[in-house]
Amino acid sequence: MRGRYAPRLIGLALLAATLALWQLTSRFGRPEFVLSPLEIAGHFVDALRSGELLPHVGASLVRSIPGFVIGSLIGVVLGLLAGVARSLDQLLSPVVFLTYPVPKIVFLPIVMLWVGIGDLSKVVVIALACFYPCFINAYYGARGTPTIMVWSGLNMGARRLQIFRKVVVPSALPLVFTGLRVSLALSFILLFSTEMINARTGLGFLIRQSESSMRFDLMYVAIAAVAALGYASDQLLLLVRRRVLAWQDAASR
Amino acid sequence: MSARWPGLASIGRRLALLALGVVVWEVVARSGAFSPLVVPSIARIGREFWWLLARPESLAEAWATLQRGLGGFALAAVIGVALGVLMGRSAVAAAFLGPLFSGTYPIPKIALFPIFIYLFGIGSVSKVLLIFLECLYPIVVTTHAGSRAVNRVLLWSAANMGASRARILWRVVVPAAAPFIFAGLRIALPIAMIVVIITEMISSADGLGYLVMYSLASLKTDRMLAVVLAIALIGVALDWLIVRLRDRLVFWERLESYYAE
Repeated sequence: MRGRYAPRLIGLALLAATLALWQLTSRFGRPEFVLSPLEIAGHFVDALRSGELLPHVGASLVRSIPGFVIGSLIGVVLGLLAGVARSLDQLLSPVVFLTYPVPKIVFLPIVMLWVGIGDLSKVVVIALACFYPCFINAYYGARGTPTIMVWSGLNMGARRLQIFRKVVVPSALPLVFTGLRVSLALSFILLFSTEMINARTGLGFLIRQSESSMRFDLMYVAIAAVAALGYASDQLLLLVRRRVLAWQDAASR
Repeated sequence: MSARWPGLASIGRRLALLALGVVVWEVVARSGAFSPLVVPSIARIGREFWWLLARPESLAEAWATLQRGLGGFALAAVIGVALGVLMGRSAVAAAFLGPLFSGTYPIPKIALFPIFIYLFGIGSVSKVLLIFLECLYPIVVTTHAGSRAVNRVLLWSAANMGASRARILWRVVVPAAAPFIFAGLRIALPIAMIVVIITEMISSADGLGYLVMYSLASLKTDRMLAVVLAIALIGVALDWLIVRLRDRLVFWERLESYYAE
């Protein structure tokens, strides 16, 4: 019991120590663009009350959630299929692996040119970026299915669809979740950079705007909101992963 | 044929796909369905690309981008591998650094960019540090996993043969973790490219990211696409280099296996 909670306690203690140290710096000379944690917390509550924050959070989520869901769903499905079907593998994998190291953000100007500068261009770029880690991990996950399990399934009279659903997908799931986690982190990077480059709403825009108008209180509030969103969505994904992969965790413990 | 020359066949397939893409693009561009501003022809993009290559100024932009990207990446590689090995071999370091890294991993570091600009100025330093921070996480996480998974028998034999702790780290742990380390480096390198381009798009007066935004703002979309092509080629070339380096250094393990386990 103690062994399980000790890392968490140390983590919390470290966090508390860092915040305390940061708070202490406000006693000494400190540039005006560094706010103390207590000040940020106070501004955060103010921004929530005044309604300066929530509309931007909403605008950001409207872009990032569809982008992440569409991109990773297509990536996982195509990756799994390419992992089991040779014709699809030969068609898709060269393109995917060749374009994988290209930074997807450079497509933002092109997509803006084609579909306009609205939300759609951001959703498309986020979906594009989320596609790759999901495809590659699902692909290797499906290909890594132990052959002997497929043989056993066939031997017991399972049809191909059944093998795909009951053997290949479960055995690929741990890697699929790895891909989803990478994509989630990427979706945030792209969300905020697309919003910083051009948007009139959203947290990235809020950070940029409050920075250039020297409203450091609002800038820190927006950054804190970004951090909280990133952390919360990652925890949510890990929760789903624990639920779905309960069998794997039980086996590895 | 394809069984004997699998490499050749796959290269041929890639070239065929590339040619198909070029032909489709050119047909769309020539059909007149879209303005040449939206879909410029390959010939115009090629001319701009050549123009970029021929001018020393644009090579300087590429050099600025490469310096920032690789600088931040190299910093993250050195410090990340050191921290990862330390966490993998020392319970104390793991207890302190582990929660720190897992706790801050999902926070998008790019949001800190404005603060970095205030702290370190608008020049290269703030960009390099942001690239370092974004690249550090995948490298630390994979190196940690790799150095924790070192076969205990190897460590025992080395200790038994009288190797010092430092020697064991350098000669046993690091080579054993090398496939993991390279997996992390290969994840981090495209991230370095993404972040350098993003930061240059957001605030910079030089670099390829700046050139993309500048060409777009001056409605020179053919030039913009040529720059995008250059960025893409750099990304592919860097990935190719790191895979070559990996095959050279980690010659005892095939590439296929490092995604699978």
